[in-house]
Amino acid sequence: MEDKEKTLREIWKDVRRKHLFPELPHPIWDEQEERVALDIKDKRISISESFVQELSQFMDPVQAISGLLDHAVSHYLHCPWDLSTHLRLYREAKKVLKDKQMAQKATGYFMDVVADTMCISQKESHLPEVYRHIRRGIMDEALHALYQKIWGVDLGVKGYEEVARKLSRLPYLDRKKWTETIKKFAKIVQSLLEVEEKFGGLNRPNPMGEHSLQQYSSEEINEGLKQFAKEVETPGEFKEIVEDLQEELLEAMEPNERGMGLGPGRSLDADVLYYMKLAENYSLPVRKMPLEKSGALYPYQHVPWEVGMPFRDIDPWTSFGKIMPGITQMWQRREGEMFGREEATPDCIVLIDSSGSMTNPRQSLSYAVLGAACACDAYLRNDAQVAVYNFSDAKAGGSQILPFTRHRMAIYKTLCHYFGGGTKLLIEDIESLQTRNNPDIFLITDMQITNLETLIQYFNEKNNRVTAVHIGDNEHVRTFRKSMALRKNVAIFSVEKKEDIPKIVLGRIKEYFHSATRF
Amino acid sequence: MRNPFKEFGCLSVEKKELPLERIVRAREEVMGQMIHGYLKLVEEEVKDLVWLVEHSRVVKAYSAAVKSIRDLQYDVDDIEEFCGELDSSNKIPYMISGPAGIYVSALINHAKEDRIVLRLRDYQRTFHFLGYRLPEGKTLILQGDVGDFVGAGLSGGRLVVEGSVGNWCGAGMMKGEIQITENSGQNTGEWMRGGEIHVEGRIRSVGKTLFGGRIFQRGKLVMPQDLELDI
Repeated sequence: MEDKEKTLREIWKDVRRKHLFPELPHPIWDEQEERVALDIKDKRISISESFVQELSQFMDPVQAISGLLDHAVSHYLHCPWDLSTHLRLYREAKKVLKDKQMAQKATGYFMDVVADTMCISQKESHLPEVYRHIRRGIMDEALHALYQKIWGVDLGVKGYEEVARKLSRLPYLDRKKWTETIKKFAKIVQSLLEVEEKFGGLNRPNPMGEHSLQQYSSEEINEGLKQFAKEVETPGEFKEIVEDLQEELLEAMEPNERGMGLGPGRSLDADVLYYMKLAENYSLPVRKMPLEKSGALYPYQHVPWEVGMPFRDIDPWTSFGKIMPGITQMWQRREGEMFGREEATPDCIVLIDSSGSMTNPRQSLSYAVLGAACACDAYLRNDAQVAVYNFSDAKAGGSQILPFTRHRMAIYKTLCHYFGGGTKLLIEDIESLQTRNNPDIFLITDMQITNLETLIQYFNEKNNRVTAVHIGDNEHVRTFRKSMALRKNVAIFSVEKKEDIPKIVLGRIKEYFHSATRF
Repeated sequence: MRNPFKEFGCLSVEKKELPLERIVRAREEVMGQMIHGYLKLVEEEVKDLVWLVEHSRVVKAYSAAVKSIRDLQYDVDDIEEFCGELDSSNKIPYMISGPAGIYVSALINHAKEDRIVLRLRDYQRTFHFLGYRLPEGKTLILQGDVGDFVGAGLSGGRLVVEGSVGNWCGAGMMKGEIQITENSGQNTGEWMRGGEIHVEGRIRSVGKTLFGGRIFQRGKLVMPQDLELDI
């Protein structure tokens, strides 16, 4: 046992040095896994003991372990690199293959080709030797035929010339072209994957290990989803990919909850997650607590005492017991600084219009929901609470009220709800959310509200700071603007381009937060 | 003082060149030349971004295409990739289907391989004029639906369409064979002088003027009808 650990430690030392010391934890032996060589969970590589034993019949076990570690490290260093790249590659493969399992397989194989080729092009590796002795399925045969061609080695594969020839034309080493390359890759291997599917080969794991999302930490998953939300063109695209990989994502984000009985019932609301992650891309920096003058003087530094200067600041300890100009030292005092009084960020009531004239956030990107989501995100980050009033035809029951909370999922879920009916809000609903601390009000609508006069009157009576964002320009907007012209606590934004909403909203809220720190 | 980079000293930073890099470089070079040739053809032939199908223009465009690919070393994979580029790439600012089809046909007719398969069902765009002047000894298999003037001026080659064709299929063909597994559009075989067209599905209409050749539908001769009586 000790020998085994020692051997792994020694090999890992060399592999790490070869790859310029990647920040990966020490690998471990996996005594149970028999079918695949490697597994990576939360960055830790596990090597299958039985797999190495099997390989050691044909090659030096030290070289086998070294080759396997090269493969794993190369995945970490080159491809997929991060979750957003992984999701992007999967999305492109799915576009071509239109099947979840086949797309996952194609993505995995593509990442293997890239990572291994990167490794072979930059380092001396025993990886080709490992591939020469590995047990192969149809896809493995084809890929090893490709390796023979693009690495210039003999792996003992016969056949698959056409597939290998077509695959060898792709620029695997050019990261910028990966999204295009994987599409071509998927197209070429599609027929092989279909054959694999027919004979149940898709259920057999990749001998070098599957590319589970559990290799990412929960922070990496959050960051990856944030990035991916920014890259996709529609919420539907995000939803499709996230729903496909939902189980794996949940398992990676909250690995222990399955055991708590949350497994099968858990689900991600991909639409809500999309706006949540997208809003995080526009997050405001939280301003640090300001410093202010304390009024008290404290000894700051020594300066030579001169005639005419006060005696009380003389420091006898550094003056050699003498009172002589130029030799005697005195303390120079300065006013101290301390943390100032913290002014709390007010809570916010978000009024969001989800009537039929607004975009359905689940069908296409709703800038209204995104704007509201950004505002919520900003308030929550500043330790405030948010209440949501989502309205359409409120009188006919078309409204949702979420009382003040810091529960992100609940907030975004309420923001994303779409009624699609008429537009009438109830002032008593808004009033029910008011508190003694005068929360801010954030309204986002196209202003085509049937009882707009009532709302104007309400704002005129209240002292809350109001940010009103409207989409488009119409008669109602003009009425609202005219009526609110004299109110200093109401800021109105006209949005020409929908894309501007997050910027404008954040810009203004930023002012609020910054002005809140002035004394 | 200890050098913090000492351990890196023994590491080789030499990068090997893999065969992959040579293959990709050569491929990119060929693709660049193909795209350049096509854009030059479009520039010359389609001055106003409108291209009308006239016999003289088709002949002229084909001659220009042949001239531009004369010294090009390529294979069937390059042709397939070029079709992919025409379909979706942003390297080609405008894809005008007539000249594009003629250019692809010129590439096919002058390729080293005698049997060429193009998987067109993966593409969004419709390709016209494919199989134009396909010479004797060449077999072109098109998988998926294709546009108009497919197999026009066929010159002895064998064209198989695994799908449907548009209008004017085999227009002015001289010899050779066209097989269509599904339907064909209007004016099928117009002005054909020789050869055969076999359609497994429906023929919307047969050309009004045929100088020769035969058209079959589901194995039954439909044109010329009087010939059937003679047989």
